[in-house]
Amino acid sequence: MFVYDPSTNPLNNNDWAFPLLEIIHITGFAFSIGTIAIVDLRLLGMGMRHQSPAQLLKDTTPWTLVGLLVMLMSGPLIFSSDPNMYLNNSSFRFKMGALLIAIIYNYTIHRKVAGSNPAPMLGKLVGGVSLLLWVSVVFAGLFIAFV
Amino acid sequence: MLLAFAQFIQKTAFFTALRGSGYVYPAILSLHMVAIALFGGMILMTDMRLLGLSLRSYPVSEVIDQFRMPKRVGFLLIATCGILMACCKAEEYYYNDWFRLKLALLLLVALHAVIFRRSVYHRAAGLDPGSPLPAGAKLAASISLILWTSIACAGRGIGYIEPPLDKIHAQFFSAPVVAPPATVNAEYLH
Repeated sequence: MFVYDPSTNPLNNNDWAFPLLEIIHITGFAFSIGTIAIVDLRLLGMGMRHQSPAQLLKDTTPWTLVGLLVMLMSGPLIFSSDPNMYLNNSSFRFKMGALLIAIIYNYTIHRKVAGSNPAPMLGKLVGGVSLLLWVSVVFAGLFIAFV
Repeated sequence: MLLAFAQFIQKTAFFTALRGSGYVYPAILSLHMVAIALFGGMILMTDMRLLGLSLRSYPVSEVIDQFRMPKRVGFLLIATCGILMACCKAEEYYYNDWFRLKLALLLLVALHAVIFRRSVYHRAAGLDPGSPLPAGAKLAASISLILWTSIACAGRGIGYIEPPLDKIHAQFFSAPVVAPPATVNAEYLH
């Protein structure tokens, strides 16, 4: 598919580069998914209950963005280590689809609803869907190595 | 003795089944990672609140107290998944240096909790009144950040070592196995 030889990639010629990238990727999603989950759990009635969802959303947004950027920079680098394998991997394809939906959802519906302190039922629905989307992204990411 | 225990654990019917279970093992691993994302995020936010870097419009006590329960539930989930996976490959992990390092770091986390429990985490309300946080709180938060990040690194490292079990076993079984009974008998003679 690609006229590109992964063996020329410095990532594949250093023992530490790949695991280091993975750690950066994991830290990135601890920040991004972690802070999104804090808002989701609040929408579901758990965690920071003394603050409104809108306030929590406002205060975690910068860290979500930092985490997302770290993920979106380390992810493609990891991908570059073996593009054809990833492109042919069903779990990777699922992950990219879920990730795209999750990011769009996060910055449209999720942001709008959480930011307007929704009625409990709507909040639970929106928070639950958000958690489900991000959980499926993580699961699909791990399963790349197992399918 | 520890090695014998590790071998025994992983040979039990339950963990033998889990090891060969196709998608159950990766599902446990994924759950481990999801829990890290969800509750690791809370640890990061709590520590960074203590350092004055995040959630600054919230009193420290709120952040510590309200995240306490979810973090406990999260830790329980992470630990359960981790123990299940470790038992599947207990013998291999016995030789794995990253695994050993991770256990040592977890001990340090426990020590961290014991040391800072009284001075920081259980008197969070005393940290609130507008004044700058005491140095102890920032120290606790910095150490916590370093420890948890190191634990994540060590955890990722585990997958990169595959101790040559075949060679270790071969060495084990090629040693003369005839000798021990003689000494045992000699003891009985006295």
